[in-house]
Amino acid sequence: MTKTIAMAGKGGVGKTTVAALIVKLLSQKGLVLAVDADPSTNLNQALGLPLDDSQTVGRIREKMTEDVSRGTLSPTIVKQEYLFGKIVESLAESKGFDLIAMGRPEGPGCYCASNRFLRTSLDKLVQDHEYDYIVMDCEAGLEHISRQTTRDIDVLLIMSDPTIRGITAAARMKKLIEELRSNVGKTGLIVNRVKGELSPEIKRAIEESGLEVLALIPEEPDMSDLEMKGKPVTDLPQESPLQSKVKEIVESLSL
Amino acid sequence: MEGEFHADMGPQYEGEVIRKEDLYIEFGGPKVAHKFELATVKSPDEIENEKVEIIGPDLDDLQPYDEEKGGGSYPIAVLVDVAGGELDKDAEAIIERRIHMFTNMIEGWYHMNQRQDVWMRINKDCYKKGFTSLRELGEIYILLYTSEMSIIESIQVTIITDEKKIEELLPHALEVYAARDERARTLNDEDVDTFYGCVLCQSFAPTHISIITPNRIANCGAINWFDGRAAAKIDPDGPIFAIPKGELIDAIKGEYSGANAIEAEKSLGTYDRVYLYSAFEHPHTSCGCFEAIVYYIPEADAFGVVNRDFKGETVVGETFSHMAGETSGGKQIEGRLGTGLEQLRSPKFIQADGGLARIVWMPKDIKERVKDALEAKGLYDKIATEEDVKNVDELLEFLEKVGHPWIKGEVELPT
Repeated sequence: MTKTIAMAGKGGVGKTTVAALIVKLLSQKGLVLAVDADPSTNLNQALGLPLDDSQTVGRIREKMTEDVSRGTLSPTIVKQEYLFGKIVESLAESKGFDLIAMGRPEGPGCYCASNRFLRTSLDKLVQDHEYDYIVMDCEAGLEHISRQTTRDIDVLLIMSDPTIRGITAAARMKKLIEELRSNVGKTGLIVNRVKGELSPEIKRAIEESGLEVLALIPEEPDMSDLEMKGKPVTDLPQESPLQSKVKEIVESLSL
Repeated sequence: MEGEFHADMGPQYEGEVIRKEDLYIEFGGPKVAHKFELATVKSPDEIENEKVEIIGPDLDDLQPYDEEKGGGSYPIAVLVDVAGGELDKDAEAIIERRIHMFTNMIEGWYHMNQRQDVWMRINKDCYKKGFTSLRELGEIYILLYTSEMSIIESIQVTIITDEKKIEELLPHALEVYAARDERARTLNDEDVDTFYGCVLCQSFAPTHISIITPNRIANCGAINWFDGRAAAKIDPDGPIFAIPKGELIDAIKGEYSGANAIEAEKSLGTYDRVYLYSAFEHPHTSCGCFEAIVYYIPEADAFGVVNRDFKGETVVGETFSHMAGETSGGKQIEGRLGTGLEQLRSPKFIQADGGLARIVWMPKDIKERVKDALEAKGLYDKIATEEDVKNVDELLEFLEKVGHPWIKGEVELPT
């Protein structure tokens, strides 16, 4: 059974960094599909993979629709198969994991049929590749989850920094997920860049949100150096505070 | 026959994926410019039965993929030539598609896509077990073709890895594909007995059913008759299903008894008639996902077309989204037709109302997309866009000035 872990959180809280580390850790236990579902971040960079912007799933679907109206896509090539082939071509393959970029979720159209093709293609991708894990880096609006282009979620990790605004955003995402029809197994909160203890105000805000705190991650001293040099976060030393915390989180979830 | 080959075969290997970590060599795929596969029906005397020819370096001559250095991606062309008393040109596409299935049936081989997009991989294990020549691949194709398709009386396979040779042959393959597509585009509703229905949008539009025919793509522009046929074959009870065409009631308006019956059933009795080739009287229902709307402009007694991506006001002052609000929801609305954009290319596109020649306005972007179809009918310069006119008065002036055939009374409605 494939286990799906989704990462959510407002921008700048280190969501993509943690997602990349989880991908790396899980790839030692099984085959991982890393899904970049946040067009504003770059999970590929964090994982040290190049990625071509024209190769996002969103762009592939847009191009297919355009080619049909231009009369340049063969009428006899079944669109479901065509889309699947292009999605497989767009996979960035690495040791123990593959990366797929979703791109912009959708234009103004509703495109029931092409969304369905997309869903079917993603399901087939996971089934054929026999991924053990899917790790999704989601954008704040959780668009792909609400559009049901993604499967059910086993663990939803909501990230925040130790600010009231971050916790409020996290609480809103928890509510949003509950309102959607998606099945979510477990939801937990990770607070990143914690210096010392959480303030009483933050503690209260977390309590009110009803979110279960999975982990507090201390400020990572090596992070800014990596970011300045543009190196993948997976280059962080094994014993760094961030690495060991993420390891703890993964272990506690018994994935 | 088994045991002769260095790989096992069977349907159990069809879902097998070869990731880069297991990759020995790949042919074609996104990294390779020149690649294709082509099946050709020939006369028996042009075929040396069961011959396999390899042109260019073979598997054991090529540098495999290396984790450090990369590489390992090579051009390929697979040519399958067949003969048989009952084979005709139409069989070529079907025979060619079997290359996909047959390659995937080999343990350690993987095949994706088709035509000039083809992509094949062989894994390390398979090579190690002794699968070191493409000749073996050709022999397996011959075995599988002759045992699964008795219509094939003689067959020869040529596998080319010499890039120059592939580059030289590729234009011919592209011509063959284009000719096939052309034949598919000229397939008409009269030529088939089965249409397809799609109710994917019924959660938004409970009385809507898209009727998909060779001459009519679904409103969303995503499902044509071939897609419908493939989907219904995989899941006949799914949201895309076969409709017996039934009796032809009106050849000009496009009324079929089979379409009427399914319209009544799926619209829960709201409608019991549908015209596939007209925007008047009983036009096709509109879901919420149509790519464009064909709308009646009374002052010109003609139609405009507006697509979803066009954000401005149309020539009648309404935006797409305003118009969509009135058109959608699974209703039949006279003079308002939700449609796929490719439909503008159909010879039966509102044929009862005058067809493409009755269109007087469309966004510039769409005009460019269907330019070839408009030029073929001498209409490209006759249709106004948002750059030419801002309102209906200006439109009428424009149409006078350019001499639009509908305004000049040159378009005769079919009777």
